[in-house]
Amino acid sequence: MVYVKTQKTKAYFKRYQVKFKRRRQGKTDYRARIRLINQDKNKYNTPKYRFVVRFTNKDIIAQIISASIAGDLVLAAAYAHELPRYGLEVGLTNYAAAYCTGLLLARRVLKMLEMDEEYEGNVEATGEDFSVEPTESRRPFRALLDVGLVRTTTGNRVFGCLKGALDGGLDIPHSDKRFAGFSKDDKQLDAEVHRKYIFGGHVASYMRMLMEDEPEKYQTHFSEYIKRGIEPDDMEGLYKKVHAAIRADPTMVKSAKEPPKEHKRYNLRKLTYEERKAKLIDRLNALNARAQDDADEDEDDDE
Amino acid sequence: MPAGHGVRSRTRDLFSRPFRKKGYIPLTTYLRTYKIGDYVDIKVNGAVHKGMPHKFYHGRTGRVWNVTKRAIGVEINKQVGNRIIRKRIHVRVEHVQPSRCTEDLRLRKKKNDQLKAEAKARGEIISTKRQPEGPKPGFMVEGATLETVTPIPYDVVNDLKGGY
Repeated sequence: MVYVKTQKTKAYFKRYQVKFKRRRQGKTDYRARIRLINQDKNKYNTPKYRFVVRFTNKDIIAQIISASIAGDLVLAAAYAHELPRYGLEVGLTNYAAAYCTGLLLARRVLKMLEMDEEYEGNVEATGEDFSVEPTESRRPFRALLDVGLVRTTTGNRVFGCLKGALDGGLDIPHSDKRFAGFSKDDKQLDAEVHRKYIFGGHVASYMRMLMEDEPEKYQTHFSEYIKRGIEPDDMEGLYKKVHAAIRADPTMVKSAKEPPKEHKRYNLRKLTYEERKAKLIDRLNALNARAQDDADEDEDDDE
Repeated sequence: MPAGHGVRSRTRDLFSRPFRKKGYIPLTTYLRTYKIGDYVDIKVNGAVHKGMPHKFYHGRTGRVWNVTKRAIGVEINKQVGNRIIRKRIHVRVEHVQPSRCTEDLRLRKKKNDQLKAEAKARGEIISTKRQPEGPKPGFMVEGATLETVTPIPYDVVNDLKGGY
């Protein structure tokens, strides 16, 4: 074995300072978190809510969270996998679905706090920049957008979710610079383009293009859409219905499934000392038996 | 070159962060709330440069007299010459910890209230005063054997055997 100079000596490990656990896992941006959570001291225990949007490969998670020393408390949550309940079964992670999820969360929170009559928000989604107007009786529900570790480029789906929440009636400080349809040259938001994205227009135009140019790819790519008979022209109507259904009944439905009594094991169980010794003995026996057989064969060959 | 007596002079070790605790500070410091009249300890956090108190106040305990957006007003006693002045300073929350000096008192108050309520229910009168530790009780010594020691007459020869 060639002598390899150890790069990481014992001294290195003794002096190494680990980052915070969630930073090591790459899940939390502490610089942003400190600034989002910090509440003015002269507001004492008034909670400061963050509108958290996270995307997984197949789902969208939107939550309203307030921080506490024991752990963050979730006031309300909405998931994209709840959208089938409102009539949207495919395309659960696109811009339009993000809009629906944000809208669902906003209506849910307002209903929970009994503010939903006061703050209707923007019932007809036009794509224009809309901010809630405070009414006389109560101030609107305020939350701060928490994107996590996502790169905030123009047209990102987190801003689709943000638009959904704004139209739902939440007060979230924002600017229209990062909505889909904002052109850097004009420095203006093109409401028409944004509206197209909110109603899945970009998906519809891709569907039309594929249908004409590459029908096989269209069949594989949009198989679920085809299975449910969704045409590119139906998209807008479909999303309009989903928005209306969300506004009609945003309450959360607990799933009827019971949690499994015994948790499924995802990694191997560690062996006990006896089991490891037994394994070693078995391995040695097998090795000896094979060596014995080889020795017998050699003897036979020699003879 | 002269010594220099700036505000942060002689604080090289005092304000430095402890071993393997550098970088972002844990978030509970920002989540704590302080009310007027609370006791707080001042412990300077060298990672945050704003709102740092003077090095004299490091390790002192005082009461909160003011709460602002990001800082707390603390009233601390300082001996100046032949008198003690109550000084009021403003310190950012990163340099402040809630003090445990009154914790013992608060727990005792709670326990005493509970004991008194129970005693009242039973109809007894109890004293919840703390008693100082008294003298140890008397005890019999076990397993002791008596050995009487008497002096022996002085013997010159024996003594001088050592050397002369």
